[in-house]
Amino acid sequence: MGKQIQWETSLTTAKANAKKGKKLILMDFYNNL
Amino acid sequence: MENNFIPLQIDFNKNKALVKRYAVKWTPTIIILDPEGEEHHRFVGYLPPEDFIAQIILGKGKVEFNLDRFEQAIQCFQEILARYPKADAAPEAQYYLGVAKYKASHDPKQLKLGLEVLQKDYPNSEWTKKAQVYSLIPG
Repeated sequence: MGKQIQWETSLTTAKANAKKGKKLILMDFYNNL
Repeated sequence: MENNFIPLQIDFNKNKALVKRYAVKWTPTIIILDPEGEEHHRFVGYLPPEDFIAQIILGKGKVEFNLDRFEQAIQCFQEILARYPKADAAPEAQYYLGVAKYKASHDPKQLKLGLEVLQKDYPNSEWTKKAQVYSLIPG
């Protein structure tokens, strides 16, 4: 079983976590049809 | 993926400010950002897993390249070519591999060597056309 992805929903939080963890951000714009 | 990325999902219909800021017109749109929120790579539409992963690695490579971390960029581009040589992202990775090697070494022959691989492995790619001018490099 693959690990469930823990998605952020705030760009501000994602940026802070990326800086803290020296990571990049994968931003996925989605649309529930 | 979570070793290298913070995954962020944005609802297209509920985040008009971000939709406008990043000029998103269709979903899914995947954008690779550095920690400052600057865009380095994007792709639109659903992709099979191997193509998706190759695009993500390409995005990481382009971040490293744009931030002048050429050795790290080279590793990303080489990883795509080794693991996903048939992915749509592979010719672009080969193009940027040649450019990153040139930037790291200041040796223009790296551009020509990159073109030779493109001509051999991806003769019909737009990236091979874009690299064609490097055939004029002596040596």
